[in-house]
Amino acid sequence: MSALIHRRLTRNELNALIDSAPTTPVSLSDDHRRSLSARFRAVPASDHRRLDAWTVERAARAQRSFRWSPTTARRVLGSGALRRIASSPALSIGEAVSDEITDQLLRAASGYARGGSLSYWLANASVPELGLITAEALNWATQVTEIAEGIENDWRIAPSDAYYDVATARTTLRGRRDLVVAFDEHRVVIRVRAGSPGKSAGPGLRSDLTIETLAHPGGLAPARFIGVWPEAGVALSVDATMADLRSGARDLVRTAVAQQRIRALMAA
Amino acid sequence: MATLTDSSPRFVVDALRGERQTRPPADTTSAPGLRSVLEDGIFEVLGAEKPDSPLVIRSSSLRQLTQSTDISLSPHGRVRGILVNQVLRLLSVGTSVLSPFDDALQAWRLECGAGELLEYVDQLASDERARLETDVTAHSITLIRSLGPVPSRWLPRSAVRATQQLCGGAVQLRDVIDLMVGTTANDVASVALFDVTTSPLGEGSERTMRYHALVQTLRTSIVPLRTSTFSTATGEMWSLDVDAELLIRSAEEVLAAIANQWSKP
Repeated sequence: MSALIHRRLTRNELNALIDSAPTTPVSLSDDHRRSLSARFRAVPASDHRRLDAWTVERAARAQRSFRWSPTTARRVLGSGALRRIASSPALSIGEAVSDEITDQLLRAASGYARGGSLSYWLANASVPELGLITAEALNWATQVTEIAEGIENDWRIAPSDAYYDVATARTTLRGRRDLVVAFDEHRVVIRVRAGSPGKSAGPGLRSDLTIETLAHPGGLAPARFIGVWPEAGVALSVDATMADLRSGARDLVRTAVAQQRIRALMAA
Repeated sequence: MATLTDSSPRFVVDALRGERQTRPPADTTSAPGLRSVLEDGIFEVLGAEKPDSPLVIRSSSLRQLTQSTDISLSPHGRVRGILVNQVLRLLSVGTSVLSPFDDALQAWRLECGAGELLEYVDQLASDERARLETDVTAHSITLIRSLGPVPSRWLPRSAVRATQQLCGGAVQLRDVIDLMVGTTANDVASVALFDVTTSPLGEGSERTMRYHALVQTLRTSIVPLRTSTFSTATGEMWSLDVDAELLIRSAEEVLAAIANQWSKP
C-alpha cells in the first residue's frame, strides 16, 4: 500500500503533489467488480445502503439524520456556481452563487422540487437565512477557486460526485470530488474538506479513491487522490496502487458490516 | 506601517485594502520561520512533556492576558457580538438588513440550530430582550453606516475558520476571521483581514489583529496585506500592515499565552 503523503497546503506543494503523481495508473476489471459485489451481497441489508468516505471515517457510527443547513448546502451551491463560471467566465463568484440560488428557487416555484430537496428548503428560507446560505456558499466557492487558481496544469471543476451502484447488493457508493487535473494518460483528483484531517483521513481518502475508480466507465483509477483541508492548511494524498484500491474496498465492506451490526443492535 | 484613525472613515471598506499600486509582493517565505519560532518556543515551555489534551489558543486567550474581567465575555456581550457578526455576514453578500436584531437572530438560529446561548436569548424576560435588541440594533447601525458596499470582485468570505497544529498536535491555534477579502492566488499581497468587535478598542484588540495575521500566515503560508479591526461601540477602526515584526510579536504573545495556560493547574 502506498504511504499517506502529508504536505502543507501551499501552491508549490500542491503542484509538486500533482506533478509527482505516478504516470501509469492501475485499473479495475469486471472480475474485481464482481468480487466486490459478492462481498457486499454477503452483508445482509434491511434497506438500501449508502456509503461514502465519511461513513468509513466514522466507522459507521450513528449520525444525526440529514437536514439541510448552510453548512450542508454550501458545497452543492458553491460547486454549482463554479460550474456556471466554467461555462460563463464573465460571471463573478458572487453573481454565480446568486444565480445558482435563484435557479434553485425557480425550480421550487415551478413545482419541480420534492419535499426535502435543496430547492424546497431554500424556498422556505427567509431573506436573512438566504443571506447566510449565500455567505457560506460564497466561502466554499472562493476557497475552491483559490486552490484551483494555484494549480499550474489544466484543471476543471468535477462535473458531479462519483456514484457507483454495486450490482444486486442494494448498495450505493458515493465518492466526493471537487477538482480534476487531467493529463493525457492519467488524472489527479482533488477533494476539498472542511475542518482538520483526523486519524481516519487516510482510509477516507482511499475509499474516495476506490469509488472514483469504480465509477469510471473503464475502471481507470486516478493516479493520485489528494485531499485538501484549507482550514488547517494541510494536504494529504494517496496513490492508486492495487493495494490502495483493495484497502479502500475492504474499508467500505467493513463499514457495511459495522453499519449492519449497529442497526441490529438498535433494533434489538 | 500602522494606520491609526480616531474616527471611522467614510466607508470602512475603502480603507481596507488601500491603493492597489502600493501593495508589496506576496511574502511566501516567512511562514516556515514563524512555525520554527513557535515550535522552539513551545518546546522551551512544555519540554519533553506532552499535555493530555491539546492546549487550545484562541484570540480570546490573548485578550485574557491583560484583562481579568471582560464584560464582552458575559452572555449578553457574547450574544451581542454573535448577532453583530451575523449582520456583517449578511452585509458582506449584499443582503439588506432592515431589522438587525431579528434578521441576525434568524440567521444565527439557522446556523447553529440550538445551543446554550440561543437558550439564553429564548429565556430572556421581555425587558431584558428589549434591552438586548436595542443594544444589537445600535451596534449594527454603526456597522451598516460605516461598512459600505463590499465589492464581490474582492472575494469576500465571512467567518473564515482556521486551525493550526503545532508540536505534533500538543498545541492548537484556532481562529475565526470575521471578514476576509482578497486572494492568496496573486503575486502581490492582497488579503485583508477584518475583525468586528462590540467592545471599545484597546491593547487586546491589537493582539487579536496580530493573531489573525499570524494564523492566516501559518495556514496559507502567504503573509496577508493588512489586518484591521472595527469597533461598533466607538466607530473607530484600527488597521495594521502586516510585516515580519508584527508576526514575530504575535508569535511571542502566543508563546506567553501557552506558558500562561500550561502553568495553570
